[in-house]
Amino acid sequence: MAVTFTLNGQQRRYSGDPRTSLMDALRCDFRLTGTKDVCGEGFCGACLVHIDGVPKVSCLLPIGAVEGADVTTIEGVGDLGTLNPVQQAFEDFDVVQCGMCFPGMVMTLSHFLQDNPRPSRDEVKSALVGNICRCTGYERIIDAVMSLHNSAEGRK
Amino acid sequence: MDSANTDALFLRPTDIKAALVAMDGGAVPVAGGTWVMRASLRGDSNDQAFVSLSQIDALHEVAEGEDFLRIGALVTHDHLADFARNLPELGALTQAAGMSANPAIRRTATIGGNICARGFTAADLVPALLALNATVEVHSSSRQDTTPIAEYLQARTQRRAAGLLTTISVPRKRGHSAHARALLRKAGEYPIANISAFIDMDANNTIKTVRIAVGAVEAMPKRWHSLEKALLGQPFSADAADMARDLLDDFTPRDSVDAPDWYRLRVLPGLVRQAFASITDQSREDA
Ligand code: FES
Ligand code: FES
Repeated sequence: MAVTFTLNGQQRRYSGDPRTSLMDALRCDFRLTGTKDVCGEGFCGACLVHIDGVPKVSCLLPIGAVEGADVTTIEGVGDLGTLNPVQQAFEDFDVVQCGMCFPGMVMTLSHFLQDNPRPSRDEVKSALVGNICRCTGYERIIDAVMSLHNSAEGRK
Repeated sequence: MDSANTDALFLRPTDIKAALVAMDGGAVPVAGGTWVMRASLRGDSNDQAFVSLSQIDALHEVAEGEDFLRIGALVTHDHLADFARNLPELGALTQAAGMSANPAIRRTATIGGNICARGFTAADLVPALLALNATVEVHSSSRQDTTPIAEYLQARTQRRAAGLLTTISVPRKRGHSAHARALLRKAGEYPIANISAFIDMDANNTIKTVRIAVGAVEAMPKRWHSLEKALLGQPFSADAADMARDLLDDFTPRDSVDAPDWYRLRVLPGLVRQAFASITDQSREDA
């Protein structure tokens, strides 16, 4: 039995070993390399994807477990013409350095901001507990997120 | 790989009986997957078939009774923290579930996995369940047993435990409980030591029931009986951290890359202080 699931809006099938991590299948079989392979242990958040709208670490999820699920990767959150608001804020604030952590950060924050459109700095930090960045020192990432908050307030 | 082969590698039963048959055939039970999927990193074999438990609806349920909270083995940390928030006597469980690992892991890792992950030394839920006197229900092909969690943990260590852990029952007793953990970073990782405490006091604030459990210090979480004995009958205002400092001989701490043995002991009195401070706050809120 192949695993069938929705991947970035399209129906897909996976016929390999269903114990393979979703991360490996995404990168090696579906060629979606925006999902990053970093720690492989659930600590860094670089491999985060949305499963039925909720961020989960794809390195610890056997692909057999996503049978029937709706999977969105970083490649599916926007398109080249219209970045998702978090991606746009990261670009506007020139936040990205090496970039390994950013797909995961975008997946975490896009989901977080849906439920908390006006977070405090501390709430943003708590939301990012599982996203490790070895380059930036985080503060500019949070500035970028708070800019979304401010613009939301500005529109009130 | 042809699909007949892959079928046998990842089984998705919809009831407990079928899961037990698969386990009898050598398949590894998979709940959230966060421990099993790291088998190769630990140097463990990762060649067995998986039996995913996620299609068994009963294992996802939480039921709030008057005397017990019954928690299905596949309930995630996230779900549990959310549900138990309204049950103040289970503060240790809410805090342990809400603080462990990181948000994405809490959305995936389950209570059953936390108890059953063999060799996982830093579980947060297990000390909380010990302090709250939880029992576990275990199904095997021929029977269904209810066992105190401490006994179940012993049996698992000695590889005597067979069957599938399906439900955890936590008594809802008068009292307050809290969980405290020491990390090397502020958040987002496993504790190097943790403590759960349950306390019930009489009208004069004398401690009449006390259970304290310690995790991550030894290979298995365990109750701190000497400290419980010292605290019983004392006023709640007694300096529990001070008493703890004199009773550290109860432990033979682990020495490992994340923290040396002596350090795990050194932080315990501070964790006792934190857990007691949290219980003080809870009692003030009640008053
Ligand atoms: S690669 Fe999955 S959490 Fe780090
Ligand atoms: S930009 Fe390099 S890890 Fe975050």
